[in-house]
Amino acid sequence: MSWWPFRSESKKQDFVEEYLSLFEKSIPGIRKISQLGFVVLDTETTGLDPKNDYVISFGAIKIQKGKILVETAIECYPESPKEGGETANIHGLVQRENLLKPKAFSQKLLEYIGPSILVGHHLNFDLEMLQKICSSSGLKNFLNQSLDTLELAVRLEHGPHVNWQQIPMKEYSLDALCERYQIPSDDRHTAGGDAFLTAQLLLKLLKVAEKKGISNYQQLFR
Amino acid sequence: MSNVIINRVAEFLRRHPPFSFLEEEDLLGIARAVVISYLAKDEVLFRKGDPANPHFFILKEGQILLQEDGEIREYCDVGDLFGVLALLGKRPYVLDAVAGENSLVYAVPVEEFEKLLQKNPKVSLYFAAGFAAGQVVFRTDLGQGQKAREVFSRNEQDHSLLIFSGQSTIQITKNVLTCSPSDSVQEAAKRMDKQQVSSIVICDESDFPIGILTDKDLRSKVLAKGLSPSQPVSEIMSSPVITKKPDSDFSELYLSMIKNRLHHLVLTEDGTPKSRVCGIFSDHDVLLSMGNSPAVLIHALINAKSSEEMGQIRDRAETMLRYYLENEVSMDFVAGVMTEINDVIIQQAIDEGQKQLLPDFPEFEVVPFAFLSMGSEGREEQLLRTDQDNALVYGDVPDKLKEKAKDYFLHLGTYVVETLLTCGFASCPGEIMASNPKWVLPISSWKAQFSEWILHPNPEALMKSSIFFDFRVVKGSRSLGDELSNHIFDEIKKKPIFLNFLAQNALQNPPPLGFFRNFLVEKSGEHRDQFDIKARAMLPLTDLARLLILYHGIPGVNNTFKRFEKLAEIEPNYTELFTQAGKAYEILMRMRALEGLQQNSSGRFIAPEKLGKIQRHLLKNSFAPIQELQEIVQVRFQLDYFRS
Repeated sequence: MSWWPFRSESKKQDFVEEYLSLFEKSIPGIRKISQLGFVVLDTETTGLDPKNDYVISFGAIKIQKGKILVETAIECYPESPKEGGETANIHGLVQRENLLKPKAFSQKLLEYIGPSILVGHHLNFDLEMLQKICSSSGLKNFLNQSLDTLELAVRLEHGPHVNWQQIPMKEYSLDALCERYQIPSDDRHTAGGDAFLTAQLLLKLLKVAEKKGISNYQQLFR
Repeated sequence: MSNVIINRVAEFLRRHPPFSFLEEEDLLGIARAVVISYLAKDEVLFRKGDPANPHFFILKEGQILLQEDGEIREYCDVGDLFGVLALLGKRPYVLDAVAGENSLVYAVPVEEFEKLLQKNPKVSLYFAAGFAAGQVVFRTDLGQGQKAREVFSRNEQDHSLLIFSGQSTIQITKNVLTCSPSDSVQEAAKRMDKQQVSSIVICDESDFPIGILTDKDLRSKVLAKGLSPSQPVSEIMSSPVITKKPDSDFSELYLSMIKNRLHHLVLTEDGTPKSRVCGIFSDHDVLLSMGNSPAVLIHALINAKSSEEMGQIRDRAETMLRYYLENEVSMDFVAGVMTEINDVIIQQAIDEGQKQLLPDFPEFEVVPFAFLSMGSEGREEQLLRTDQDNALVYGDVPDKLKEKAKDYFLHLGTYVVETLLTCGFASCPGEIMASNPKWVLPISSWKAQFSEWILHPNPEALMKSSIFFDFRVVKGSRSLGDELSNHIFDEIKKKPIFLNFLAQNALQNPPPLGFFRNFLVEKSGEHRDQFDIKARAMLPLTDLARLLILYHGIPGVNNTFKRFEKLAEIEPNYTELFTQAGKAYEILMRMRALEGLQQNSSGRFIAPEKLGKIQRHLLKNSFAPIQELQEIVQVRFQLDYFRS
């Protein structure tokens, strides 16, 4: 993902090496979905342009054995170059404290996610933003398998060979999906709150998937 | 640091008693520990007879039905608490919990809550009052909380939860199959077959029981005597029937069955034959109410439809295990039963794996293979679901099939390993599993591997030998297994110095006691001040037993305590010592397993100060044979001269 031609390559930190070593063994295709570990995440950013915008908060929670583990919930706030008070007020929702320098944030992030499957709504955007922080520690890209709840919802509702041109994207925003899947969404627009909603959405989607015969790793990721 | 997610969970809990009684800090502590699951309509959260989860449940959204034999006993609505019997952690569930709608359920670990029960009298009264009233569901409406408070103020001294221990958990079949005396035998048999039951009660017009017909009657009174199935049931039914009241307690029902040699007991409204039939109690129900017998569990495993279901049954086996251990049932029997249960899981997985794979690999149906369990499972000593250690061996195939054979057996091995994962057996950190290409090999490669270890006994090879040489064929070709163990013995005969290395290795385990007969505990880390019962007490014994068995070249004895029994037989000089060592090992196994069940861990680390005096004494005594055995080995394998 670091396709910036002008970004000089940083040296790989030890924790990055350690993270990379977790992927030597692949997950067998027949592993049951209930046995997979997921990290559901969300970020809040200063804007939507990966080049010029920055992550201001990160929230995530883990799902193991099909259950959301509340104690694994984390929220942290990476320091951004635009730091100086004004970004904190953009959203005006989160009191940002304990700001983490990029290296400290990257270490915490990689140790937290490990080899889990990453899940998010519009996940690629979050990953791109997060990777930007980690690149300074020498991480070229995340090796984790990833699952976008938006794509999963579309696949489940329209079948695997859907024509994306015809999908009304409005109906697949996190808000719309939460409403459709009856997830009370009063905590929107904090990274932690959105991660929690996405985690609940994932549990519900996986249940729909199971009914359609998608029960193992291979079937989930085709 | 405050956290949006935890706050969100806490906010929900705060609205419902008994959480509403909690201080903010305690509430956040509980919220942090919550585990959330989502059930689709009709999905089962727990079943009657399942061991109690270490959690109790609060319904976040949807509806949960608590049922008994398909009959709804209670509805849980949003905010209701259920599964609270698990608070006691001692009895299986008495009802099925099924999702009536798609439901989101919050599970709260019992230990978190126990802390609060002790700290917060309001919370304990809330439960105590509910229990006393025989409540299954704790309602969210405040009326109940109010009532609880009143009960508490009257009964301030009573914090004990002993009230429940007398409660009976017997299950009675409520829907009794009946027919009239004029119905034909064939008609009765047809109905029994349709309902899949083993008895039918014959009633008069007012539903009073006049007789009973069972499977056994059909066999011995009709078929064996060649009677026509068209005659009326009244001709062959057992009559009159012995009846009891449905609210009689278990011992009364059971005694009446034993005394009258009955397999079925009819229950009527007032307990006499002159009232309406309202239930039936069979010896099958007796078996079930006795909980989880090995026969019931194994039968259930064989009929399980998915690996998830096998996992649930394996959970139930743990309840049985605990009962056995606490009641000092002989270790031989306990280990045998648990091994059989674990083996059945593997055997079922192999059957299913083959069924799925063979269509793509038809040529390998005839290639012999054996699935090997190793380490503690190989020694038939795995009571708790600790790490898996397994491998696969298959017959040599022609060169052109080699790659495909590897592919097939690796798929098969992976299928078993994944099934075991689903059943709660942890993955092996050293990747010694039948899903690792290194350990799925044709027999010639296995032989070469074993020879290599025996020829070059470096620390790595010795470590591997101590795991692999305890292998046991769980399914597949026994002769492949025999061929492998003969190979080991032959190679050791050719290269006996391997045993000296193995002996040296066996003496390298850390000692259990210090100079002052104090337990040597871990000095740092997560298990600081705890005693490593595995490394310091069990491993030395396993290593010594293996060494001496290989030394004598005895195949087929894998169990550490059986190995000591065997050694006691063939070395009469040391009969006493070996017998003691075997006994010591049994004690250690029991202690470790009980510790593991109590702490929900591998049981490997024990805090000596938490043991009672007798337990501590017992543990120390079990170390005595270790040192004596080590001295014998020291001399026998000339280890004093050996270090060059």
